[in-house]
Amino acid sequence: MSKIKEITQKNAFIWPVLGCIILYIAITAVTGSFSIAVLSSCAKLCVFAMLLALGQMIVVTSGDGAIDLSQRYILTLTAYISCTVMETNIVLGLIAAILVGVICALISSLINVYLRVPAMITTLATGYLFYTVILLVSGKGSSIPAPKFVSFVNTNIFGLNMMTLVCIIVAIVLWFVLYRTKYGHQLHAVGQKREAARLAGINVKKTVIVAFLMNGALCGLAGALCGAYCGGANQDLGTTYFLPSVAAAFVGGTNAAGGKSSVVGVSIGALMMTFMSTFLNAAKLDVGIQRLIQGAFLVFLLVVAVSDAGKKK
Amino acid sequence: MEHKENQQPYLQLKAIDKFFGITKALQGVNLDVYAGEVIGLIGPNGAGKSTMMKILTGVLQPTNGTLTVEGKEVEHYSTRLAKETGIACAYQDLSLCTNLSVYENFALLNVGHGLVEKPGWRKDAKKHAKELLEKYFPGNGIDVGKTVDKLSLADQQIVEICKTLMTDNLKILILDEPTSALSSDKANQLHKVVKELSDKGVAVIYISHKLDEIGKVADRIVVLRNGQTHGEVRAAGVSQDQLVEMMGGGKKEKALKGTEKKTDGEVMVEIKNLSANGLNNVNMTIRKGEILGISGLAGSGQQELLQLIYSARKHIGTMNKNGIQVNSSIAYVSGDRTKEGVFPLWDIRNNILVANFDRVKGKLLLDKKKCDESAQHWYDKLKFRAEGIGSNIMSLSGGNQQKALIARGIASEADIIILNDPTAGVDIGTKQDIYALLEEIKQMGKAVILYSTEDAEIEICDRAYIMHDGAVTAELIGDDITVSNIVTASFKTVEKKKKEEEKKSFLAQAFSSRLMLPILTLIVIFAANVMNNPNMLSYIGLRMKISSTLPLIFAALGQMFIILSGDCDMGNGYSIGLVNVLVGIILTGNPLVGVVSLIIFIAAYMGMAALIHLRSIPAIVVTLGAQFVWYGIALIICPTPGGSCPEWLSNFLRIETPVIPFPIIIAAVAGIFCWYLLARSRYGMVMRGIGNNPSSIERSGWSYLLAKAVNYGMAGLMIVFAGMAYTSTCNGADANSSVNFCMMSIATVILGGCEMAGGVGEPIGVVVAAIAMNLINSLLTALKIDSNYQTAIIGLILIAVLAFKFVIHRKEAAGNE
Repeated sequence: MSKIKEITQKNAFIWPVLGCIILYIAITAVTGSFSIAVLSSCAKLCVFAMLLALGQMIVVTSGDGAIDLSQRYILTLTAYISCTVMETNIVLGLIAAILVGVICALISSLINVYLRVPAMITTLATGYLFYTVILLVSGKGSSIPAPKFVSFVNTNIFGLNMMTLVCIIVAIVLWFVLYRTKYGHQLHAVGQKREAARLAGINVKKTVIVAFLMNGALCGLAGALCGAYCGGANQDLGTTYFLPSVAAAFVGGTNAAGGKSSVVGVSIGALMMTFMSTFLNAAKLDVGIQRLIQGAFLVFLLVVAVSDAGKKK
Repeated sequence: MEHKENQQPYLQLKAIDKFFGITKALQGVNLDVYAGEVIGLIGPNGAGKSTMMKILTGVLQPTNGTLTVEGKEVEHYSTRLAKETGIACAYQDLSLCTNLSVYENFALLNVGHGLVEKPGWRKDAKKHAKELLEKYFPGNGIDVGKTVDKLSLADQQIVEICKTLMTDNLKILILDEPTSALSSDKANQLHKVVKELSDKGVAVIYISHKLDEIGKVADRIVVLRNGQTHGEVRAAGVSQDQLVEMMGGGKKEKALKGTEKKTDGEVMVEIKNLSANGLNNVNMTIRKGEILGISGLAGSGQQELLQLIYSARKHIGTMNKNGIQVNSSIAYVSGDRTKEGVFPLWDIRNNILVANFDRVKGKLLLDKKKCDESAQHWYDKLKFRAEGIGSNIMSLSGGNQQKALIARGIASEADIIILNDPTAGVDIGTKQDIYALLEEIKQMGKAVILYSTEDAEIEICDRAYIMHDGAVTAELIGDDITVSNIVTASFKTVEKKKKEEEKKSFLAQAFSSRLMLPILTLIVIFAANVMNNPNMLSYIGLRMKISSTLPLIFAALGQMFIILSGDCDMGNGYSIGLVNVLVGIILTGNPLVGVVSLIIFIAAYMGMAALIHLRSIPAIVVTLGAQFVWYGIALIICPTPGGSCPEWLSNFLRIETPVIPFPIIIAAVAGIFCWYLLARSRYGMVMRGIGNNPSSIERSGWSYLLAKAVNYGMAGLMIVFAGMAYTSTCNGADANSSVNFCMMSIATVILGGCEMAGGVGEPIGVVVAAIAMNLINSLLTALKIDSNYQTAIIGLILIAVLAFKFVIHRKEAAGNE
């Protein structure tokens, strides 16, 4: 028994993988047909939640109860920005989206770090600000994606959607950054104990700010892709992905107290959340029952997966 | 009162041993405690005083030896038994709820736990607290209505001591350095208290480093040294010098040491006239290639000094405003491993490498081979007792953890290494290894600053500064560094800087009131509203405005109860939606089922509290997950918007009252009710206390779990009211339309003056803030500003409020220094 516990603790992705398998079986049972297409379509649909979840994971890992509640607004805002700028140049549009995401995150992180406002409140407040900017931008800019970028997003390579591919690359890069670089180690140190990190000579403020910036860049990327895939930006674009992404971040093995992350676990967690909604749609259940099952499943997973790590602290 | 001959001791410690691994903290210690006698307990650092007290209070179990009470041997001695025996201890680190007022801290101990308390208990409790303080510390001037965090450290200590004195059947009182923060007149009062208690037959164990005090207050003095009782004397007729001698000071003992004097090394750290953070005109130089010791009684400013030196690392080569100049890089090795040392989720490897990843870096990524090699190098060199560099740091013994921290310090390749009590709780063998290592570091040409609470350890240094009361009392060089010289210097009196208590101006006091901000915001916004639209002031105008605010008021009050316990409800947007549906569909159709469903809902909130507490899952995550459940149930009951508000409810809210519109009355009643519950009722103390210091609440005999569940239950109740008010506002049910309440309620609670960290509930402020929030929207609408700006303005207000708070807090903090 303790052996099993040890394994699940070390490999946080086991729970979401199990979830994926169960849900996949459930989908097959409900639809009555075994289809690989479900897998690839889920892999395509999960990218937005996955990018947000990875960003959230980085922020939460910086510790001290940090969380970013403004992600969905950043995603929506950058979707508008990318649509608008891509009218002139596609690459420029992508860069602009990421840049705006970084700027948004920079604002939040500066308030958090220098005014010592808890990250949750900070991002709640800056989220409001970004939302207004969205409303301003939505009136002026374009909300229609550039056709070329849309077709790029919908290309398939070796049966894999372009977005899925981009996401996989991002996740791999992120894996190296978090687990193979100096910064990644410092981030995890800061997340475990900020005072100890300071005494070990780590610049805590800088580390936290950079964590936010990475999160902002991921949100920006998600915004650009989402705007193109969903056929344009709208004011509530990001809202859909808020809950699945937060859930994926925690179910995937991010320690809510900070200091522990899992790129693989969180990525699969996002996939699992997409499987979940696909299953619920396929089962043709009432929306209400869908949500109820979703909620019960989530709470159950959290009790199983999260509390282990929580207890250890 | 000295014990008489033939008097039977109330409590006896006989031949007590206490070993921690190989470390012998106590060896064959005997102590007889007689009723009514004051025992002064003295001894140098690390003599075993605190271990002995922990055994007396049942926190630690002795390895060998017996403990007898009234001649009978007690087995399985525990904290509970200690309490029954009548032993109470006033701790140096206070065990008070700092967010509660002084008298509430007392009342936690002695109010009944039943549901009903006779009215006026608060007045009685206040009177009782005042009497208690006045009895023991006449003229103390402590306002018992003030919260503990507003008191000076000295006053807090007085409160802590008095709380201890409240113990029923007090037989033995332990005072651990009780006067460290007290001025001399307060100290004299305490001595009088001790005298009175002793006359009443209470035994007092008085631990202090202040020898003149011990001489005055004690009847018998027990000297502890190296974990052994090293003599007992009658206090009358013993001189301070004799006491110092008994502790191992005074006599000149020549230690055999062959230290070559090196005072010509390059200066690495220079400190000139440092007088910050309680330090008193400190001057020091630290040179290359020497081990510099810092010693003296614990709490004499050494920690502050080390922290200040470490913070000066940001400006290498220049003198900072405090007067510290650091000429090279610094590494810091902490002895407080759990708090500021180890990274518990990591293995030995990363714990060693963390201070200097640059050394094991390839071009871009860390070089795994180099990491392993470097870690393995230190692992072998320091002879870790573990499975390998991949073992988790928490699986190691304290000594081996400390090795990793020291390896970290050396591996960082800094030229200056600060060691803050590195051998605390480390066994003798590891200690020797550490000393050898320090010598090696010194040979490498580095500067080592070693602070130790163990005086004997300083003997390995080349030079040492001894501190007392924030000042350096002696500089010892080479062979002069002996325990005896250190002890002598540690007790040297220092001319104290006078501490002034600042009186806050009225304005500053008003500014720091939590209610000021929401009320000010409301006044400004209300005035702006009225200027724009004078109709606002009319009966109907006010009625409409406040009526539409009711849902937010209740939602925010609910959120407040959860934030009060240090958590946060991320799902109340949907839970209000669920109540909306329950009221609009079920309660309208079948009142009985409706009421039952609402009660189940509240119970579900309490269940959530239990889940959060028992499984220790973060509240944010649980409430986020739970909102799916709320939403799902709401959708099942009501898939599409529909339903209607129960007639009785809308009629109730439509009641016409004279002069003051009914919604205002409801808002006021809600605010005052919650205020009464939290600030006036008995259980309110507990509800507030758990957000601040749960262990203090539990120690006073209350259940943490129950208190948390009550807070969540109240939140559930408020959400029910919010949902009802919301149903009446929109006269229908919609599972989806109330999502915004989540963010809005958090913003309102913060604007209302509560603290995100918990422990502070300000219901009146929350109600006022909710009204202000709502008025902002109507003002913006009236000014024909795009309604879309509302959110931005709410966001800006939130940031402004918190920034304002931060500035005020910083001022307060600066004032306290």
